[in-house]
Amino acid sequence: MQTEPTIIGFLCNWCSYAAADLAGNSKLEVPGNLTTIRVMCSSRVDPVFILNAYFQGADGVLVAGCHPGDCHYQTGNYYARRRLALLIKILQTFDIEPKRLRLSWISASEGQRFSEITQEFAKFIKEAGPNPLKKKPFFE
Amino acid sequence: MTKVGLFLCECGPNIAEAVDLDKVTEVIKGDKKVALIERHRLLCSEDGKKFLAESIKKNGFERIVIAACSPKQHENTFMEVMTRAGLNPYLFQMVNIREQCAWMTPDKELATQKAIRLIRAAINRINYHTPLKQKEIECSPDVLIIGAGITGIETALRTAQKNRNIYIVEKNELGGVLNRLQSLYPGMQSARELLQKKIKEIKSHPEIKVFQKSKIKEILGFFGNFIARIETEDKKEVKLNIGSIILTIGGETFVPAELPNFGYKKFENVFTADEFENSVINKENLPQTIAIVHCVGREKFGYCSKICCANSMKLARLIKEKSKNTKVFQFYKELCLPGKEYDQFYKETKEQGVEFIRYKNIEIGDHKIDYISEDEIKQSLSVDMIILSTGLVPGKDTQYFANLLNIPLDDYGFFKEEHIKLAPVSTITEGISIAGGCQGPQDLNDAVIQAGASAGRTLSSLIPGRRLQVEAKTCEIADSICVGCGVCVRVCTYGALTIDESKHISVVNEVLCRGCGNCAAACPSGAARHRHFTNQEIYQEERAMLK
Repeated sequence: MQTEPTIIGFLCNWCSYAAADLAGNSKLEVPGNLTTIRVMCSSRVDPVFILNAYFQGADGVLVAGCHPGDCHYQTGNYYARRRLALLIKILQTFDIEPKRLRLSWISASEGQRFSEITQEFAKFIKEAGPNPLKKKPFFE
Repeated sequence: MTKVGLFLCECGPNIAEAVDLDKVTEVIKGDKKVALIERHRLLCSEDGKKFLAESIKKNGFERIVIAACSPKQHENTFMEVMTRAGLNPYLFQMVNIREQCAWMTPDKELATQKAIRLIRAAINRINYHTPLKQKEIECSPDVLIIGAGITGIETALRTAQKNRNIYIVEKNELGGVLNRLQSLYPGMQSARELLQKKIKEIKSHPEIKVFQKSKIKEILGFFGNFIARIETEDKKEVKLNIGSIILTIGGETFVPAELPNFGYKKFENVFTADEFENSVINKENLPQTIAIVHCVGREKFGYCSKICCANSMKLARLIKEKSKNTKVFQFYKELCLPGKEYDQFYKETKEQGVEFIRYKNIEIGDHKIDYISEDEIKQSLSVDMIILSTGLVPGKDTQYFANLLNIPLDDYGFFKEEHIKLAPVSTITEGISIAGGCQGPQDLNDAVIQAGASAGRTLSSLIPGRRLQVEAKTCEIADSICVGCGVCVRVCTYGALTIDESKHISVVNEVLCRGCGNCAAACPSGAARHRHFTNQEIYQEERAMLK
């Protein structure tokens, strides 16, 4: 049976979490299959969190932080960017397409952008089909 | 098993209409981790808060999950209720089912499913919460101001109040750049008079202690508890205990010796604006023609210094005041005269017969200026004296203090503010503010505004008689796991982590830690733990969301 894909979003407390609130406040649509986890900074997102999400069956993972140069903690978003660049190489060894991981910069005022990015990402994930790890034996 | 209470807030019709809360209750009911599910129409109202507090007491809840609006709205409200009800406020998780569920998911069935997933994530995580303590430390409300130019003096006057000692340290004489100025634009009032008045004020102020011709030898400690070692005028050493520091060390005017086309130090009648105003103008006779060349050094350092256009016009006026018949030429590239008073100032200067010539390129020779004009024509003008209107650059001590206090410099070598728009006088080091010319080129107005801003920030951050509250959701290091590799030390922007050389492990300064969690993500051994956002807590959230 084809089920709705699930997407986990890690949102920075200072920017994209506020942007998501703003999207809600403005009644902009955001995919219902996206559930978010609040972190204080995108640099808190340990790559293992993302691996864990895929191993638990997530079809897509979104990490959103402040725009370059705007990090609430000065440089956290740059660390997130570098860690995710490395993580993509690891994901490939598990046959997880790199595009299932999205890193976006969304400021607190960009509710519209949050809505657009998440809808577009959800559409992409739906087309990409389920997380290939789900087909592997240890999931059965 | 701890007793967890789940509260569902209807938020009037906001949540109740978009999410099927009956279904939510029905589904969650089966979860053994939840002792009881309570529901209220508006939990943040006075009635709601009372209901919450009473329910906590009546049912003996040890941990609380509240599904309501965004934590940015009412997390603190509910944390206060918990504290009053005798629970640790960190044994609480808020679920955002309004902004990030009810309001963004028009399909009620989908919204309900999403709300269930979000609530389950919180329920899963809540048992991993640890009670956190709101820590407080002793601190000093005293302030050290470094640099006694006009910005420093103004900052001292504005920070001075009862129960607070203000120390101002200056390596030279008091007054800084104002000592070298004749008058201030656009009002043309005397710089000296203003300065004397201010110096008198700080010297006689009971709360301000002035150290002139003194050096800062060392500053140790952190926000709330700095210790500064100062070498005074008579070579004595003084130790000061202060809580915060304001840097007002100013900038310098650029010396164009390295730009050969301006002929500085090559021809004896070429001066910088600073030299001219400080000494040359006081000489007996001014010559017949004087040219003032703008934008000297701008291309080299890559920014407009904001003050030189108006300052050049001020010089033209001073020249005209002293020697009415001297012809003054202004050689400019672009005129930068923002602000409400400067159009008039420019107009009046022009009316006094000062001529403005726009140049594209310039070469200064012996008593002459060769230039390429706006319309690409090569021209030459004989003049008796040339004044180079040079820009402002960072002072020589900027690097020294940047190293001493762990403050980054920007691309041009000025102190870098925490945020150019939202935190223009704070630095990334808690307790250290910047104001005036050390932050970037600016005129007296801006410097005074920054003095006020940094004074306000400092006064409100440390209040006499009160202890300093520090962030509870900081990082902590598990001593037994840490191997002292130093990765966390390198990723920490705030210098909150250091290696304890004797134990060879990393230690956290909880006053400096702002709780971003970068170190916890970077730590290869799992010794660094981000309180309230631990690995376990986040894994639990993920697990519930993906079930």
